[in-house]
Amino acid sequence: MGDTELELSPARLEELQKSPSTSSTSSTSSLSLPSSPSSGPRALTSSSPSTSEGLPTSSPTLDVISEGVGELSLVIDTEMAKKACQEVLQKVKFLKPDGEVSSATSEPVLVNGTAHPESTDGGKPPKITAEEAEPVKSVRRRQKNNSSKQSWLLRLFESKLFDISMAISYLYNSKEPGVQAYIGNRLFSFRNEEVDFYLPQLLNMYIHMDEDVGDAIKPYVVHRCRQSINFSLQCAWLLGAYSSDMHISTQRYSRGTKLRKLILSDELKPSSQRIRREVPQPPPSCPPPLHHGQGMSEHSLSPSKRTHQRSKSDATVSISLSSNLKRTASNPKVETSQDEDLSSSSDSLELEAGTPVRLTPQREFIKSLMGIGKRLATLPTKEQKTQRLISELSLLNHKLPARVWLPTAAFDHHVVRVPHTQAVVLNSKDKAPYLIYVEVLECENFETSSVPVRIPETRIRSTRSVENLPDCGITPDQRASSFSTVPNYDNDDEAWSVDDIGELQVELPEIHTNSCDNISQFSVDSITSQESKEPIFIAAGDIRRRLSEQLAHTPTTFRKDPEDPSAVALKEPWEEKVRRIREGSPYGHLPNWRLLSVIVKCGDDLRQELLAYQVLKQLQIIWEQERVPLWIKPYKILVISSDSGMIEPVVNAVSIHQVKKQSQLLLLDYFRQEHGNYTTEEFLTAQRNFVQSCAGYCLICYLLQVKDRHNGNILLDSEGHIIHIDFGFILSSSPRNLGFETSAFKLTSEFVDVMGGLDGDMFNYYKMLMLQGLIAARKHMEKVIQIVEIMQQGSQLPCFHGSSTIRNLKERFHMNLTEEQLQVLVEQMVDASMRSITTKLYDGFQYLTNGIM
Amino acid sequence: MAQTEKKTGLLRRTSSSKKPLKEKVVLMYEEIFAKEDPTKNNPRFWDELFLMKVNLEYLEGKLESLDGDEVMKVKDNINSLFHHCVQALSEEHQIKVVNALQTLCALFRGVHQKNKSATGFDIINMLMGFDKAELRMKELMESLDSLLCGDGSESLKSLCLKLLLCLVTVTDNISQNTILEYVMINSIFEAILQILSDVSSRSQHGYDAVVLLALLVNYRKYESVNPYIVKLSIVDDEPTLDGMGMVIHHALTDYNRQYKDKEEENQGGFFSTLTSMVGSMFIADADEKLSVQTNEAILLALYEAVHLNRNFITVLAQSHPDIDMSATPAAPVPASPTTPLGTTPPSLDMMNNPELPLDPNLQTSNLLITFLKYSSIIMQDTKDEHRLNSARLCLIILTCIAEDQYADAFLHDDNMNFRVNLHRMPMRHRKKAADKNVPSRPLVCAVLDLMVEFIVTHMMKEFPMDLYVRCIQIIHKLICYQKKCRVRLHYTWRDFWSALINLLKFLLSNETILLAKHNIFQLALQVVNLFNMFITYGDTFLPTPSSYDELYYEIIRMHQVFDNLYCMVLRVSTNAGQWKEPASKVTHALVNVRAIINHFNPKIESYAAVNHISQLSEDQVLEVVRSNYDTLTLKLQDGLDQFERYSEQPKEAGFFKELVRSISLNVRKNVSLSTMSQDLLLKEFSSIS
Repeated sequence: MGDTELELSPARLEELQKSPSTSSTSSTSSLSLPSSPSSGPRALTSSSPSTSEGLPTSSPTLDVISEGVGELSLVIDTEMAKKACQEVLQKVKFLKPDGEVSSATSEPVLVNGTAHPESTDGGKPPKITAEEAEPVKSVRRRQKNNSSKQSWLLRLFESKLFDISMAISYLYNSKEPGVQAYIGNRLFSFRNEEVDFYLPQLLNMYIHMDEDVGDAIKPYVVHRCRQSINFSLQCAWLLGAYSSDMHISTQRYSRGTKLRKLILSDELKPSSQRIRREVPQPPPSCPPPLHHGQGMSEHSLSPSKRTHQRSKSDATVSISLSSNLKRTASNPKVETSQDEDLSSSSDSLELEAGTPVRLTPQREFIKSLMGIGKRLATLPTKEQKTQRLISELSLLNHKLPARVWLPTAAFDHHVVRVPHTQAVVLNSKDKAPYLIYVEVLECENFETSSVPVRIPETRIRSTRSVENLPDCGITPDQRASSFSTVPNYDNDDEAWSVDDIGELQVELPEIHTNSCDNISQFSVDSITSQESKEPIFIAAGDIRRRLSEQLAHTPTTFRKDPEDPSAVALKEPWEEKVRRIREGSPYGHLPNWRLLSVIVKCGDDLRQELLAYQVLKQLQIIWEQERVPLWIKPYKILVISSDSGMIEPVVNAVSIHQVKKQSQLLLLDYFRQEHGNYTTEEFLTAQRNFVQSCAGYCLICYLLQVKDRHNGNILLDSEGHIIHIDFGFILSSSPRNLGFETSAFKLTSEFVDVMGGLDGDMFNYYKMLMLQGLIAARKHMEKVIQIVEIMQQGSQLPCFHGSSTIRNLKERFHMNLTEEQLQVLVEQMVDASMRSITTKLYDGFQYLTNGIM
Repeated sequence: MAQTEKKTGLLRRTSSSKKPLKEKVVLMYEEIFAKEDPTKNNPRFWDELFLMKVNLEYLEGKLESLDGDEVMKVKDNINSLFHHCVQALSEEHQIKVVNALQTLCALFRGVHQKNKSATGFDIINMLMGFDKAELRMKELMESLDSLLCGDGSESLKSLCLKLLLCLVTVTDNISQNTILEYVMINSIFEAILQILSDVSSRSQHGYDAVVLLALLVNYRKYESVNPYIVKLSIVDDEPTLDGMGMVIHHALTDYNRQYKDKEEENQGGFFSTLTSMVGSMFIADADEKLSVQTNEAILLALYEAVHLNRNFITVLAQSHPDIDMSATPAAPVPASPTTPLGTTPPSLDMMNNPELPLDPNLQTSNLLITFLKYSSIIMQDTKDEHRLNSARLCLIILTCIAEDQYADAFLHDDNMNFRVNLHRMPMRHRKKAADKNVPSRPLVCAVLDLMVEFIVTHMMKEFPMDLYVRCIQIIHKLICYQKKCRVRLHYTWRDFWSALINLLKFLLSNETILLAKHNIFQLALQVVNLFNMFITYGDTFLPTPSSYDELYYEIIRMHQVFDNLYCMVLRVSTNAGQWKEPASKVTHALVNVRAIINHFNPKIESYAAVNHISQLSEDQVLEVVRSNYDTLTLKLQDGLDQFERYSEQPKEAGFFKELVRSISLNVRKNVSLSTMSQDLLLKEFSSIS
């Protein structure tokens, strides 16, 4: 899918190929750089060319710009950016009295940013650039700011309190390009993880908001893309997904789509020691036709920009000419074969050697996972799906290990194997989401660490032999190129010492001894009996008892149900599964071996899930901060497109539906079966976990208006927590709007029973937790609202249906109520939910239509 | 053409006395056999010879008809014919290559047919001359290798393989084929692998390549170090192994389909004639008709792969949709080795390999399933020698599989469930149709089903003792694995137990006849020990507590059989004789079974007496069993979970020698170079050359 989008029409392609030439020519005039930003159809010039007019030219320009911006950010490390920000701020403060100048200076921050690299590179302080840019500023027709207001703002920005959440908020709310540009630069000073959390917001703003915001964000994004493949792909996926709601015609030329293409074109590579600076587009002084001509003639020299860009000072045509001929000559193909926008810059050559295509393996990996999902959806029965899934994954295994990873994981790793037989198809009516387990090897950095060597499935051989395998295995290529019979044989012969050969022929005897090894306690006995020759007697009753004990001991394994293959797989305790898979894996012996799991969803839009994840995560942070012991489990979401993605599964958890169906017990009885009797500590812990999680999710359900709360969407983990999944219906949307689920949240009598009944302490504790949670959430309402609000921009998601989504959300925080009133509210909601007939009706409805208990 | 005309004129002059109807090529052959150097009269003799269509019959016939002395006289000419054949292989002119290949084939065959008694060295001397032999063969093998690996014509490759097959099978006993010594030194193993790893060449030549490999591996396998064995055992390139698996899978699937077609054909006839009172005889007839020619060569290849190469086990479980091989573009990817930096990620080209075909009705299958189905067909009828051998080989392969840890792991993998429709022999006392909806289960269930099926269908006068022993061994190995790894298989153990008890019953009732030929005590001991496994270790692998009760119920229900067996072995072991020792082992093994019977029977009787019931129901018996465990003491027996590992040598060596001999004969019979008509080749090459 991504690929099709990447395909460009010939005309466009041509256009794009011209762009390097243009840029190369422009390099000749690099001295005029400072003025260049204003000349291009860039966002900076407020009078940016209309899309219609600028189409032919705009695309190359954009490319160039983006390239340049990327370069810039490379040069500037976060420290530098910070410094630059401060300096500009200083200046702004300084110039405050002079309204005219202040607005000018503050505005150019962005320009400053773009033009920055060369100057930093040349060791010049950023302010020079700013000064240089000043004339440009003056061209702008922005309204002047109220200077005093701005000073307060600046003080805030500089204060320690200014965090990423505020930054996002100001970026979103401020109409002031200067502020936006400032924040764009400030982004560099936050920790990556902090910003990553708001990546969907940033990109959605980039796509759907005006150009100033976009320009403020872009340098940061490009900078991060250069640093990390993972970030690049995340951006590309999110950009694709959030652009998808636009009309197809606008989408095609939207900035989001362009940035996505830029990223996927793999141009944003980490540049090497040498820094390539932005190549400005044709300076205004040069008429385009001339450029064109020049570009053509000098096309072969295009790489020249690399050298002369090192710094402005040595950017002379002659130098670039002389130094770069060889580069192009050495690899002309690279340039022509690039079908993406942008010149294939010369510096890509250097990297080409090291990382031929940075993003491809991972993209292919994801693509094949999605392909499997699509194909599975066509199969009629669960059984066929499962079988097909297993065989597809076994094919996938052939291609591993590779430089691919699971984006949902928290650490760097390479995927080495998919234990295909462990994969299960999840319950879904017409889609085929599936859960796979993935064996990975943790590594320092997945971009630079070497990919692990493949180990054959049957790793029976000694280590020595394994080391020899690469020598012995003769690939067809090697063979085709050089044939020599006798030496070939000799080589192999040497690799396998005589002993080895003998060993092979007798079928590796020492390994076989383990076939009769003694795992059972009896066998140990039997050995002693052999020694003593005393007959050993055992009671038949003991054997029978042990059998029933062992079966009872394995805590309620679920029966295999061909219609619900995932139940068994999910019920198995995670630790046990890890151990089991590790034992069976050829990579299991490696110390950095880890097991991950992921749900692959194909045909589902996960953007709402992602939004819910963000809100949940935010609330979790808030509650933690406010020390409210509410327990929720936000699970990671990876949006790959508007109809596919991945979910990090909640381990050690099965749905309440599965619990009830398999155990045929009431929830409370199931708790007792799993955790022991009422008074045991285990039970009490599980009960407390249940209460804390229940309170947490009730609040979530209320605040977010989570609907479709049948038991298949509520999980119960092995510690007693409940976890709500599937946020397909939140905020303004509900399933088929049948009017079910009118209550604030789902609270069945079964739940109340687990909490110890209506009069129990735990139930009061539950209500108290809810109150505390609501008060805490209210205190930080803005942080929550902001996440949702920004995502509403340009979105067609059903959860934003109607105009009052945000207003209603705000109302649910009840800012106007006193704490006493809130308490009454909570009591009322609990009461109403418990009594709600619609909850029962909905469960009944689900049971009838989908068989969900 | 003009040149050839001229040359014939030349020939006619010298041999004018010959019959005028002879082919030109025959005339040239005659010159070769005429002691004189044929180039004397015609310096371009050899060039011209290979331009002409080979007359295989004449050449072979002539060589055959020569006796020892005559041969020595024309030896030089034959040597140089051989030499020129080898040289012609590297000609650019494809026609020459074809003719040279065919001539070589005729040479090998002719010489061998003639000299049945002669030693290999004589043959080498006759063909190549002692001094030159090594060099010639090296050249030959190198040419063949480059032809097989090159981008040349497919029919040429096919011809090369045919020549090699021809060379490998010229002697009945492959190990006596001394020329193969050179094939050992100049290995073409890599060429075979390359054919198997490439999709298109695999579909065209895979079968021949696999058969060739299977035969080469068997060359003097017990006497010397056979490089093919060594190399085959270390292959770990997955596309190649997969390719090999695909070829075997395809061949076996073919067989299964043919059988099924025939069966369906016959079924119509069967029902129409059912009215005739001799129905049972018709079944036998139908069976005869159903016997499709078995394919031992491919089975041997499967055996060698499973036995020698540990990595091949993974191929067995490699599932792919059950379709025609040539249509499956599975994993055509050359193994691009992961560079240390992982810069050329294998994923790059491999990720976008063609997708599996999309057909919802396609049953996913794998080599193991196909093999099990095949085995179920083969094992239906073990009357003739070929089928008996095939059945034996099937069981040997299963033995190897059952011993392999990895194979056991996927056999028992609860997540890999398959429906395996085994073929069942039509028998009077059971319906056949019931197998259509077998549940989807772990593969080991299918293996156990197959074993049970074999056990219940082969209790006959011509008792295949050897197969029964193997069968029980396979079961034993599987249960040992289950015990060791605590796999609790949900299998209908009850049917299994009753099949075993019926087997004991059969042994007892046919004691006198069987004892004349076989050591029935060994088999009885194995069966009893299986019960001992269940009795003493049942807690580690039985699925439910009630299945343990059922085991006791079954033993108690059939106690008569065990009682009789005990009487019998006791009788034999007290008499001196050759069976004393094995029989007394059985008596010892029976101790727990007897303890169970002696413990529970009185309890059941008293229960019946107390409750005034004449016939106890199953539930009542189980109740008695459950309430009386605690007073029963069992004796722990040694080594129940130990088994002898399969080893080909020395036990099976004889079998494999014979098998390879019969395969050789069969392959020799079927390798026909003439199948590919000269016209076809000419057509193909006329455009090239």
